[in-house]
Amino acid sequence: MSGAAAIVTEGLTKRYGAHTVVRDLSFAVERGSIFGFLGPNGSGKSTTIKMLCGLVRPSGGAGSVNGFDVEREGERVRRAIGYMSQSFSLYGDLTVDENLEFYGRAYALDPARRERRKGEVGALTGIAGFSRQPAATLSGGWKQRLALACALLHEPRVLFLDEPTAGIDPVARRDLWDLLYRLAEGGVTLFVTTHYMDEAERCSRVGYIYDGELIALGSLDELRRLPGVEPSGTVRYRVETEEVMAAFAAARPLPYVRDATIFGRELHVIVAGEVTPERLRADLGGEAAGIGEPVPSDASLEDVFVALTRGRAPK
Amino acid sequence: MRRAFDLRGFLAVLYKEVKHVTRDPVTLALALALPVVQLLLFGYAINTKVQHIGSAYLDEDRGALSVRALDALRASDQFDLVYRATSRAQLRALIVAGRVRVAFDIAPNFTADVRSGRPGEIQVLIDGSDSSVAQQAFAASTAIGSALSAALGPGTRGASVAPTLVDVRPRMLFNPSLRSANFLVPGLIGVIMQVITIFLMSLSIVGERERGTLEQLLVTPIGPLGLMLGKIVPYACIGFVDFLFVLGAMRWIFGVPIAGSLPLLLVLGAGFLMAALGLGLWVSAVARTQVQAMLMTFALTMPSILLSGFFFERDLMPPVMQWVGYLIPLTYFLEILRGIVLRGAGISALWPSVTAMMALGTGLVIFASIRFARSTS
Repeated sequence: MSGAAAIVTEGLTKRYGAHTVVRDLSFAVERGSIFGFLGPNGSGKSTTIKMLCGLVRPSGGAGSVNGFDVEREGERVRRAIGYMSQSFSLYGDLTVDENLEFYGRAYALDPARRERRKGEVGALTGIAGFSRQPAATLSGGWKQRLALACALLHEPRVLFLDEPTAGIDPVARRDLWDLLYRLAEGGVTLFVTTHYMDEAERCSRVGYIYDGELIALGSLDELRRLPGVEPSGTVRYRVETEEVMAAFAAARPLPYVRDATIFGRELHVIVAGEVTPERLRADLGGEAAGIGEPVPSDASLEDVFVALTRGRAPK
Repeated sequence: MRRAFDLRGFLAVLYKEVKHVTRDPVTLALALALPVVQLLLFGYAINTKVQHIGSAYLDEDRGALSVRALDALRASDQFDLVYRATSRAQLRALIVAGRVRVAFDIAPNFTADVRSGRPGEIQVLIDGSDSSVAQQAFAASTAIGSALSAALGPGTRGASVAPTLVDVRPRMLFNPSLRSANFLVPGLIGVIMQVITIFLMSLSIVGERERGTLEQLLVTPIGPLGLMLGKIVPYACIGFVDFLFVLGAMRWIFGVPIAGSLPLLLVLGAGFLMAALGLGLWVSAVARTQVQAMLMTFALTMPSILLSGFFFERDLMPPVMQWVGYLIPLTYFLEILRGIVLRGAGISALWPSVTAMMALGTGLVIFASIRFARSTS
């Protein structure tokens, strides 16, 4: 398989009985890039990660990680990857140092390298200051840093992160992402699942999986230009308003409105190209109803996924 | 103000709990079936009337009356004459090996003695390890002796007291004072070792499954086999230390001396630990939650205690229960423990139990390992 890509899948499929959880997945992730893997819960994200980590055997297709076949070379794949799951999966009764020590031994690092790496990941993640503290007593953000430190001990070339920031506070989230960027700069390939759109927008490329199928793949700009997202001859407007529900109710029946979605105190509307912002504002209720001026806008990643998911849902 | 009791709230909780229970059919099945199974086990296994005690005999007389005496023994419900020995040494060896609990030795001139009005001698050797069985065997053998005296005495009509024509002389082997501690304590050692090892082993692995750390372990190069061994070894060590502790307690607290070879006992104890850890590993592979693991340990322990011969003489159980007992490693280990500790038995006497226990243990470990490796992928 390609030498340039860190992760390659070709028609990767997983069936449980008659139920297909992951269907015909094909994509490639470049070395040193951050790949965002998105999709609703139960869409097959975790199963895909488990297949790539060699935890779950694919029913069909092939996958390779760092050049090793996930099915036939599971052992070498496991040595090349780090894995950080969404739940805190370290030992709360062991101290920070003992957890690091355990994973160092699990990856069979010799004592000298183990000590050196413990120092390096401890400094990188900042966890070194807590080395004698039981892991259970760490806060959520520090637990995730410890998990990351453990996953990095053996200097993996590819790092799988399954919702690494679920349930931690925004500051800890930002710090963790800064760390991930530094890793990517160092040549580590990151494969990240997340539900946070701002995190997805930080990724070099994203894939969107829905009901086991990869329905979008590319950079954010590429995805914005997908036909389902910006149908030709349409314009996307952002409308600020106090009464989003009323504006939403007013927008839906308008014949030229292709789509309307609420984002906080904004309404995102896709309308036929010939419609002027003034007409849209008037039809929604006008200034008197507290409708702000419609502003033309690019699709956000969230717009992209809402559009793609809507396009798929009634199948 | 909040009402003390809100019916709808209660029903909502009830609804939720019913869902929980039905979502977890394994726990439900165990919770429902266990009491019934235990009731059956207790009901069948507790049989205080001693019947069909496996017995051996040696007819040194081979006369007309010794045959009648043996017929009387056969006709009784208490004794089953399952072995015919050819020497006194063999008679004793059968008891040491645990093949029989009682042995009858009819003296060489039994027929002549009785015919001439002298008491004919029947020596009864009783394995005293199990005090309750021994006591009842004692009483039953003297009762049969009196009955034989009455039946064989020809000229006693009208006499108020029948002369003693058959002199039954019971002799306790191994535990002459019939202390029940001597019987129960070695058995308890086996039971405790089994419970501790299954519990520790399964709770540890299932706990990892629950916390999600098992998955984390499986993406490391450790692999299922390394994981299993890494789990087995510490608990095998703990189990072995437990073994030493309880042996010490037996010797110095309960005052039960070890009649046989201590090294042999230690080696075979390690063999039993392997079987128990195999069970623990199997529980680890099957149970999804720690509650399930605990219930499964309980489910394995009860039949082990009831059917292995720990409390109740296996010979006295219905055949089906005896057969189930053959599938329990503890059954063989109890034979070995009591054989070595109480009767001074060596490997030559115990080899059937040793072979069966090791075969069962090896099979369990292999079966459980395959099951475990499959459960992790």
